[in-house]
Amino acid sequence: MKFYDVLASLIHDMKNSLSMVIHTLDEITADPLSGYDQPARITALQNEAKRLNNNLIELLTLYNIENERISPAIEDVDVANFLAEVMAENRSSAETNHINLTVECDPDLFGYFDENLIRNVLNNLVGNGIRYTRDRLLVTAAQEEGYLVFRVEDNGSGYPERMLTAHSPEGGYGDLAEGRTKLGLYFATMIAEMHRNGEQRGFIRLENGHGLSGGCFSIWLP
Amino acid sequence: MAPRIEQLSFLIVDDYADMRGVLRNMLQSFGVTDIDSVANGREAIAHIESKRYDVILCDYNLGDGRDGQQILEEVRARKLIGVSSIFVMITAENTLLMVMGAVEYEPDSYLTKPFTKDLLAQRLERLLSKKSDLREIEQAIDGRDYERANELLDQRIAENPRNLNEFIKLKAELALKAGAYDQAEAIYSGVLAQREIAWARMGIGKAYYGNRRYAEAAQVFQGLIDGNERFMVAYDWLARTQQALDEPEAAQKVLEAATAHSAKAVVRQRALGELALRNRDEKVAERAFSQAIRLGRHSIYKHPSIYANLARVKAVTSSGDAAMMVLRDLKKAYKGDKEASLYAAMTEAVIQEDMDHGERARKCMVEAHELYKELGTQAAPELALDMARTCNRMGETGRASELLHQAVKNNHSDELFLKEVGATMGDLGLAEDPHAMIAGITKEIVRLNNRGVELAKLGKLDQAMLLFEEAVNGMPGNKVVNLNAARIFMLHMNETGIEPELIAKVRDYLERVRQMDAEDRTLHKMQRMLNQLLQK
Repeated sequence: MKFYDVLASLIHDMKNSLSMVIHTLDEITADPLSGYDQPARITALQNEAKRLNNNLIELLTLYNIENERISPAIEDVDVANFLAEVMAENRSSAETNHINLTVECDPDLFGYFDENLIRNVLNNLVGNGIRYTRDRLLVTAAQEEGYLVFRVEDNGSGYPERMLTAHSPEGGYGDLAEGRTKLGLYFATMIAEMHRNGEQRGFIRLENGHGLSGGCFSIWLP
Repeated sequence: MAPRIEQLSFLIVDDYADMRGVLRNMLQSFGVTDIDSVANGREAIAHIESKRYDVILCDYNLGDGRDGQQILEEVRARKLIGVSSIFVMITAENTLLMVMGAVEYEPDSYLTKPFTKDLLAQRLERLLSKKSDLREIEQAIDGRDYERANELLDQRIAENPRNLNEFIKLKAELALKAGAYDQAEAIYSGVLAQREIAWARMGIGKAYYGNRRYAEAAQVFQGLIDGNERFMVAYDWLARTQQALDEPEAAQKVLEAATAHSAKAVVRQRALGELALRNRDEKVAERAFSQAIRLGRHSIYKHPSIYANLARVKAVTSSGDAAMMVLRDLKKAYKGDKEASLYAAMTEAVIQEDMDHGERARKCMVEAHELYKELGTQAAPELALDMARTCNRMGETGRASELLHQAVKNNHSDELFLKEVGATMGDLGLAEDPHAMIAGITKEIVRLNNRGVELAKLGKLDQAMLLFEEAVNGMPGNKVVNLNAARIFMLHMNETGIEPELIAKVRDYLERVRQMDAEDRTLHKMQRMLNQLLQK
């Protein structure tokens, strides 16, 4: 058995376990008869389980990219529909964390990208956003300067100055072990750069105070 | 209007009892009441055979037995579910679709675990509205009524809907199916002028292939692979194109590369084995056929010829006894199947002959002749080639030659197959110039067909009928001749009224064609014509 097959089959198994954990927690919170009176602790468990799941996906995707086992499958995607699904995936999690999660997108917007890869990136960003924002998260998509731009914005305290300057691939990623955020950045950059159209290449950008008062993470896809 | 989720019937297929429970709870929270759930492919097929489900939620990974893709292939190929049913494949890993990606049947949607019930609801809503949006068009395509489907598509495209590309894509695919390659090429070029996109590039390659512009097609498919080395469909088409270009060695290399990326496709392993066998690369052939058998145990793509070929290869690479073991597996896997018994008999005859067991070999040969006769027009064209090779090896050269002539007559319009007949004739030394001989036969048949059609046009239906009846008797396995005969008989009855005896003949001809190629477009047209005639 090759390492990849072991990895894939273990991840498959772990995801089954995680599915069970996440769904059971969902059912407990949704069922008033379960008599559980400490929703904050359930929510904390849910957050951690989702984070674990996002980590697993990152792990497998990065392994695949590194070993050239993956190429983006660029398709024409109905962006409004796509974002509606991302919302649906994160709605209950935002609600239990008392965060107002909203989306803004032209209903007629179509884009060209790999739905699965970008979905993973957005799920990561929303998952992190839920932890770092004060009480709002805004996800938007728009056509700008010849790129399709996804933004995830919050009204938390924003990115620290050193991250705003040091996130570029040229600047390096610093010590990856320094924190999850940086691994997330690396992941998003890799996936953005896998999207190409002619000479153009995807990239990411970090800002503060774009639409909301906190951080704004954008992915630009050609 | 799309139906509401709670009105639909659901089948859940998952080997984890807990996961089945989770899915059931989700569906119940939407108000769904009609929910069945099963743990494996065998139960899934049994349920789908006996009940019509609106939605099937199927896990890809099901442990032993069929996997999710094999269930999908079986229910779609056997038409156990209609075009309006929704099949959702649930996977643990979303790169899976790229890894498989070579498949004829795709699910309506993939869902990656874990997903929230909100996402499931959102996805089902979207699929339902898409299905209801496309219902009429899909039904027309399913009934092979391409003219109607095209009309509907044009109407929708003229409305310039927000999902315009979806309709354009369908229209182009339809053009490919209908053999309107120039039209398909024009549509795909239009899309590509806007932006490079893989499905349109793939489509243009297929259009080139259809128009026999093989060199250009090969370039397109190679380009797609260079751009994305996991684009499995492009490998299959590149190999097919290289075969058309008479480059079997290159084609084999391409399929070897493809199976190194994605070993799971039975069809691809089989194609690789057959190529390697032709290229006398027994090592590769043995591996490919073994894989095809192992992977195909629960697949609709399993086929007795794969066993027969593996036996032939084993006779070369190891021993006659090893080959006989494979034939025993073949008989075990296909109890009571005539075609399989024929493959076993033919293959054994040669193996026994090679082991100097002349008497046993001749006994097998007698059995093979008997089975071949019994199969009649149901025998697949490729069987004729195998049978001819076998006869030739057993010293029955006259019969071998006869079989190949008949194969040409029965398949005069199938160029790729004729190429194989020619190669076989050459191999066996049965014709000095196989190509010229084949061309001679096909020209004669085309002339005959044209004369019949011409007679019909002139209103001389009686003469046309006589001509086609004779042609059908001489070439009972020829699709075009059968279809033409059916048409002329029906035209005749259109004028003179129903004759039960002729109706029976028409049904006979159409049934033969259905057995040869149920997808044939003219066949569906003729069937509609027959229905109209009977309704008069």
